[in-house]
Amino acid sequence: MAVKEKTGRRAPSGQRTGMTLRRRRTLVGMSFITPNFVGFFVLNLIPILFALLLCFNKWDGFNPMEFAGLDNFKYIFTHKVFQQAVIKTLVFTMCSVAITTMLSLGLAVLINQKIKGIGIFRTAIFFPYVASVVAVAAVWQMLFQKDMGLVNEVLRAIGVADPPGWFASTKWALPAVIIVNIWKNMGYYMIIYLAALQDIPTSLVEAGMIDGANAWQRFWRIKWPLLGNATFFVVMMLTINCFKSFDLIYALTEGGPGTATTLLSQYIYNQSFISWDYGRASAAAMVLFAIVAVITLFQFRLEKKFSNN
Amino acid sequence: MKKLLSLVLAGAMCLGLLSGCTSGKQPDPTNPPADKTDPPVAQSDASTEAPPTELTGTLKVAMWDLTADAIFSSVIEAFEDANPGVTIEPIDIPSADYGTKLSVMLNGGSEVDVFWVKDANTIYPIANRGQLADLSGYVSRDGMDLSAYNGQAEGFNIDGKQVGIPFRTDYYVLFYNKDIFDAAGVEYPANDMTWAEFEELAKKVTMGEGVDKKYGAYFHTWQACIQNWGVQDGQHTIMDTDYSFFKPYYEMVLRMQNDDKTCMDYGTVKTANLHYSGVFSDGSVALMPMGTWFAATMIDKINKGESSVNWGIATLPHPDNVEAGYTVGAATPICINSASDKQDLAWEFVKFACGPEGAATVAAQGGVPALLDDATLKAISSVDGYPEGALEALQVKNIVRDRPVADKVSEVDQMLGE
Amino acid sequence: MPNKTPAWKKAILYAVLILICVVTLLPLIWMLSASLKLDKDVFRIPIEWIPSDPAWSNYQRIWEQVPMLRFTFNTFKVTVITTVIQVFTCSFAAYGFAKCQFRGRNVLFLIYVATIAVPWQVYMLPQYTMMNAVHLVDTHAVLILLHSFDAFGVFLLRQFCMGIPNELLEAARIDGLSEYGIYRKIALPQMGPSIATLVIFTFVTNWNDFMGPMIYLNSTELKTVQLGIRMFMGQYSTEYGLIMAASVVSLIPVVIVFLMFQKKFVQGIATSGLKG
Repeated sequence: MAVKEKTGRRAPSGQRTGMTLRRRRTLVGMSFITPNFVGFFVLNLIPILFALLLCFNKWDGFNPMEFAGLDNFKYIFTHKVFQQAVIKTLVFTMCSVAITTMLSLGLAVLINQKIKGIGIFRTAIFFPYVASVVAVAAVWQMLFQKDMGLVNEVLRAIGVADPPGWFASTKWALPAVIIVNIWKNMGYYMIIYLAALQDIPTSLVEAGMIDGANAWQRFWRIKWPLLGNATFFVVMMLTINCFKSFDLIYALTEGGPGTATTLLSQYIYNQSFISWDYGRASAAAMVLFAIVAVITLFQFRLEKKFSNN
Repeated sequence: MKKLLSLVLAGAMCLGLLSGCTSGKQPDPTNPPADKTDPPVAQSDASTEAPPTELTGTLKVAMWDLTADAIFSSVIEAFEDANPGVTIEPIDIPSADYGTKLSVMLNGGSEVDVFWVKDANTIYPIANRGQLADLSGYVSRDGMDLSAYNGQAEGFNIDGKQVGIPFRTDYYVLFYNKDIFDAAGVEYPANDMTWAEFEELAKKVTMGEGVDKKYGAYFHTWQACIQNWGVQDGQHTIMDTDYSFFKPYYEMVLRMQNDDKTCMDYGTVKTANLHYSGVFSDGSVALMPMGTWFAATMIDKINKGESSVNWGIATLPHPDNVEAGYTVGAATPICINSASDKQDLAWEFVKFACGPEGAATVAAQGGVPALLDDATLKAISSVDGYPEGALEALQVKNIVRDRPVADKVSEVDQMLGE
Repeated sequence: MPNKTPAWKKAILYAVLILICVVTLLPLIWMLSASLKLDKDVFRIPIEWIPSDPAWSNYQRIWEQVPMLRFTFNTFKVTVITTVIQVFTCSFAAYGFAKCQFRGRNVLFLIYVATIAVPWQVYMLPQYTMMNAVHLVDTHAVLILLHSFDAFGVFLLRQFCMGIPNELLEAARIDGLSEYGIYRKIALPQMGPSIATLVIFTFVTNWNDFMGPMIYLNSTELKTVQLGIRMFMGQYSTEYGLIMAASVVSLIPVVIVFLMFQKKFVQGIATSGLKG
């Protein structure tokens, strides 16, 4: 009963609906979701649940699995490479999320204009996201080359005497990877912001102009609050994707030099496809999942607070 | 509610499906190997009497680079010609992802029957999972002489089971650029040379400056291209806990790149992503120790007009304590999936590909078959495009296994890489 | 929208945009230049941006050396079907999650979002085993199935669907429109720009997908463009010139789709503006 009251309260027309109508609503709601859910359930959810259950087992992917209790967790938590991977993943994610969000919003605002050739600019900024990882990795490896790479030549020109070796240096490989990651993904999130910006009714913005608000005020007072859903989406997808980030880093450094850019997803990959230990891979994935879940719940709270205001 | 019901039903079905396939897989590793070792012995009478009977069926065979590498396709063609009743269905996998996909296929219960193993050391995890059929029964039934493989077959005998038969072999030789030697007025490298003599020779043929500089030697960035010289004498392996035997060679390379400047700097090669075939085929290095596979690449490049280098092959330089002809190499084995239900037919393919007919086919394409004798060596060196004198240069006395098949190799590799 | 922007402001805007575009287009320029070089020159440093002796033959050889035309057709087929299914089922589910009230909705949605956070490396093998058991391995159907029900699409569209004013829907309900009618006549047009976004993302992801086809496809005649590009990467030698030429060619459809659908964003201004 308590649940029903809760939903009844939230339903806009809850007061005048009877029991049967509510049931019909549930059915209607379900009918919207079912076509996608059936596919999702069978093709994704079941294998995922199966994979996550592996964390309590020892399994090589082929022979019968053995129950291992918490052994896998004990192993990874005492594994130095794993501990470092967690820290590096957090650093990588925080830097990437913060900078990418700001840049993509800035770019979206900049590009949301009616000027000639804007389509070309949009396409150009979106381009890094489309480009194949192989080509992207090759070109950045050359740009970040220590002695003759373009990046270091620019740095030397502005007075940096001893620019770093980037991908070849254990200290600078992670920042280099972060830079390429931001560069590759900002266009993607810019598109999301752009779509959201264009969903804002022009009448609202025009009303602001009549009230004499300047562009800056119009943005923060009118547009920014309406971008809440998009921001929530961007930050969350960015967080999740950074945590899972694999292809690009693999192509750039393969997790090296040493383990300098071995993030959680690379660790999971190594455990599943080099060591063939699905239990440990699954345990590491559980840890990744737990971190993402905590961050996501926190963001959900924020979103609710936002939409209540 | 109906939707909900059907949903639950669908879910239950899928869970059943999943548990079905995991439980279906469980008996595999224990049962099949047991009855797989039986048939060859039990049927030996029947099969010795009737080997010429027509073979029929289809085999799924996994390999890499099928379109680019004529060796695989020509062996398959030769087998199909010899056995018109058999169809080979090749599964061509990108070479960089071969290990991953092969293991996923084997674990996921795919019907692949026969496969080549790309890096010999990746055979161990597959064998440990019980996915490789024991071929010992077939070997003794058909009287296959494993000693003919120059010691390479023992590497694929794991825990007393012969899980693979060597198909081709590749070992290090010395490639050289005749144009540079001619320009420097130095005699071509001999087939009997120590590493110290090699170092001296590199000095003589280093010339020029800047972009046009011709380097005397080139060591590729693989660890193998330095470490292998430490194990070449066959007295050490990278499994030893003390790695001091690598030291002289690391020192030699450092001397050459820093003091003599006779070889390219490791850092430059690494970060510029240089490829050994590029630097050799555009004529900027004089001497390059590299695997025999590179000969086919060079012939191809010259035929396509991408390179005009006049090249030659010499025997790999050797350490002081052994004679010329001691080299390092690795064999590529063929294995049979223990879960395949076409063991007998699969064996016929393995026997053909690794036997004399297969060896002749490999040699005709310029590859080095594992079944190596003077006749095949002659066949290889007379392939169109092979430089003169290759026959002498290709002679080997002993092939030390590059990355030997041993349990911990993958881990050690990872460690050394760091 | 401001009608008159001062010329100097416009000039600065263009200058900034051009600068940004140079940075983002760098790899395209490099790819183009590398696609006209021989393998040995591709990684030469310093970079020679305009090849002195362009190897146009690379663009001819990619079609001859591997069945690239067949691969392009396959990729096109898989990508288009997947995109259509995804847009249809996702927009449907998104409306259900955003605008229908029913028990368990939020829990269900959370499950959707949670699965996005699981790396594929962990569940790839169980998925493969399942697909193998129903004999879908080595078919195009498996690729379509795997990518059509991604939780990501539902999440994306749901977020945008949330932004449709409830009053609009409520008014339609009072007018006697069924939920399906509301979805079709009101929600769907409102979701226009976000659906365009989803189309672009789905298309790009599927077009560039390498891992899925690599694991699931065995027969050469079923393979996709990304696998074709990998065919130039051999065990002992990699033909970078050809890889780059093939990459450039494989970019064309994606760019066309992007140019087609990015116009939708612009139209989005007019439509949602009128209704809001």
